[in-house]
Amino acid sequence: MEYFGEQVVNGLIVGGVYALIALGYTLIYGVLQFLNLAHGELYMMGAFFGFFAMIALGGPSAAVVPVWIMIPVMFLVAMGGGAALGVAVERFAYRPLRKSRRLAALISALGVSLFLQSAALLLFGARVRLYDTGQFIDLTSGFSIGSIRIDVTEIMVVVGSLLLMTILWFLVNRTQQGRAMRAVAVDQDAAVMNGIDIDRVIVITFALASGLAGAAGVMSGLLLFPVDQYMGIFAGLKGFTAAVVGGIGSIPGAMIGGFIIGVVEALATGYLNPTYADFIAFLILVLVLLIKPTGIMGKKVMAKV
Amino acid sequence: MNRRLMMGVSAIAVAGITLAGCAGGSSDEAASEATAEQTAAEETAAEETAPEEEAAVEEAIVCSASFGVMAPLTGGAASIGQEQLNFAKLAVADFNASTEGADYSLVESDTQLDAGQASTQATALIADSGIVGVVGPAGSQEVSAVGPTFAEASMAFVSPSATNPDLTNGDNPTFYRVVPTDAVQGPTDAAFMAEDLGADSVVVIQEKTDYGVGIGDSVAAGLEDAGVAVEVIAVPEEKKSYDDVISKVGDDVDVVFVTFQIAAKSEQVAQSLVKAGKSAVVFGSDGSFSGDFKTPGSYVSAFAPDINQVPAAADVAARFTEEYGEFGTFGPPVYVATQTLLQAAQRACEGGDLSRAGVLAEMPNTMIADSILGGDIEFDGAGDVDGARFYIFQLDDSGAPSLVK
Repeated sequence: MEYFGEQVVNGLIVGGVYALIALGYTLIYGVLQFLNLAHGELYMMGAFFGFFAMIALGGPSAAVVPVWIMIPVMFLVAMGGGAALGVAVERFAYRPLRKSRRLAALISALGVSLFLQSAALLLFGARVRLYDTGQFIDLTSGFSIGSIRIDVTEIMVVVGSLLLMTILWFLVNRTQQGRAMRAVAVDQDAAVMNGIDIDRVIVITFALASGLAGAAGVMSGLLLFPVDQYMGIFAGLKGFTAAVVGGIGSIPGAMIGGFIIGVVEALATGYLNPTYADFIAFLILVLVLLIKPTGIMGKKVMAKV
Repeated sequence: MNRRLMMGVSAIAVAGITLAGCAGGSSDEAASEATAEQTAAEETAAEETAPEEEAAVEEAIVCSASFGVMAPLTGGAASIGQEQLNFAKLAVADFNASTEGADYSLVESDTQLDAGQASTQATALIADSGIVGVVGPAGSQEVSAVGPTFAEASMAFVSPSATNPDLTNGDNPTFYRVVPTDAVQGPTDAAFMAEDLGADSVVVIQEKTDYGVGIGDSVAAGLEDAGVAVEVIAVPEEKKSYDDVISKVGDDVDVVFVTFQIAAKSEQVAQSLVKAGKSAVVFGSDGSFSGDFKTPGSYVSAFAPDINQVPAAADVAARFTEEYGEFGTFGPPVYVATQTLLQAAQRACEGGDLSRAGVLAEMPNTMIADSILGGDIEFDGAGDVDGARFYIFQLDDSGAPSLVK
């Protein structure tokens, strides 16, 4: 039973990262009905931004500031950098195609994804980076429940992702800007007639989604995921799977989907074989689509035909 | 407004492309002019040269040819491929600078560590008649894929990292390698864990690549023969988090042997063990031999003593670091592999047959004395290095490797 608990905790921690990536997918899809296939690469760039922020502050073993300053700075740089990059991508790669068929935007998104991978290779080199978290955080610290150990980094990831989800939910559901986003999601033409600046809403949506991807990048780095230019491919796929499982367009759904995928993966690794973990995660996606095509928290929407 | 902006951006892009084209053209024209001027000057100088000097000029042989470099320049193993390419560049530059009349160059070929891609690239290299030999490919699966194609074209190819023992069983007659095989590494590592570390229980985390499976199986077999309890956990190459795998490692496990080709993953496993409060020590195969794997007390094997500790390699290591940055274990053998082809090509050229067949015929005569890998490099009849062995290091408190066996 303790082993089961250990694997569930492992899954929830990785699931927290998937959930943040899924939130970005779901936010953009919810507002624009557009699948941003380059979202995984924004997560990758966020991980690099956080890494270089850490290096700029002296590196993992010789930081010139206390760790409680360094980590928030890493998050701020990654989220800010990710948001700026997301806005630039929207401006130059998606906006010109907004009136085109959806396929054109999807192909553009694929192009952006490859462009960002190559740009990272050119700018940062091919070497795989590690955050080396153990140099600035005592990995043996934290607390234990029986034989289940949870360290500070892991607590930070789970609490951080829940906090960001709550803030996002509040922004979307309780603010003027959130109301505008929901209006654009329902009917863009009607939103324009009500005086909503659609371009502004879309820019804010991309900034939020990409900022979350940046935060997920730093979290994965702190959890010791290797940082390289291809790290976004699989993570993006997992985030997308989580978004669909939870119900794409639903904020709590993305969160639940992320945790489900993380836990399923960990249990498959623990009780079957790590080689089957991805297969089983994607099998869950197929099953959910067959049983409840709208996802766990998704709602059926009437479409005018 | 948007249309105007788009038109502006398009105009800038078109102008940029046009300028780049013009610049390229200008540079080509300038180069042609410079070459023509140089040729004219050389002709004038030759006319004015005294008869005895003329004879000396005639004796100087110019040897010019190209070599393909097959490496994973992009894809998941790009960090390895880029390092390999840079070591090949350095070897060619050094050889051209130190050998009179030598004018060798490289043609880059990206295999992405994929057998299918390697096969396609091999065909492209063969189609280039200027190429007389190939450095690479890196992976054993790629060597198997390109071996018959290169054999048909009489193209010698030297891998700096393919360690599958079966590759030199006669199926690939034009194949050579400068590293020892898994048949050497597996038993060496297993014997060290069983005898020197006194391990009773070992977990092998085996990455599902040709390299990882080959060395993992070899180590597991060696440990079982020595009476050590072994559990093999296969993990996909794409796996990012190892905490769930580490949960499977029991408290009684003495050593976790990892077969990654990227050292950062070995470090990730070592730190995950620390997080989980487990006392097992990590032992990495040669793919982990890099500064990225640095948890104190860990072990790692390598096909050469750290070249930073090889006196013959000091100059090369320093120049490489200065020009390209830090390097791991996969780069230095490329320097030696390239040297073997350069030597063979130079001998073939001096013998009047700088062709693929000429280079291939010279390969068995290769002898690199005091190589940067520490020791002489000579090939046996099968294409393997004579007397190759593996070395084992322990990482000290600063993470630096210290030779223990």
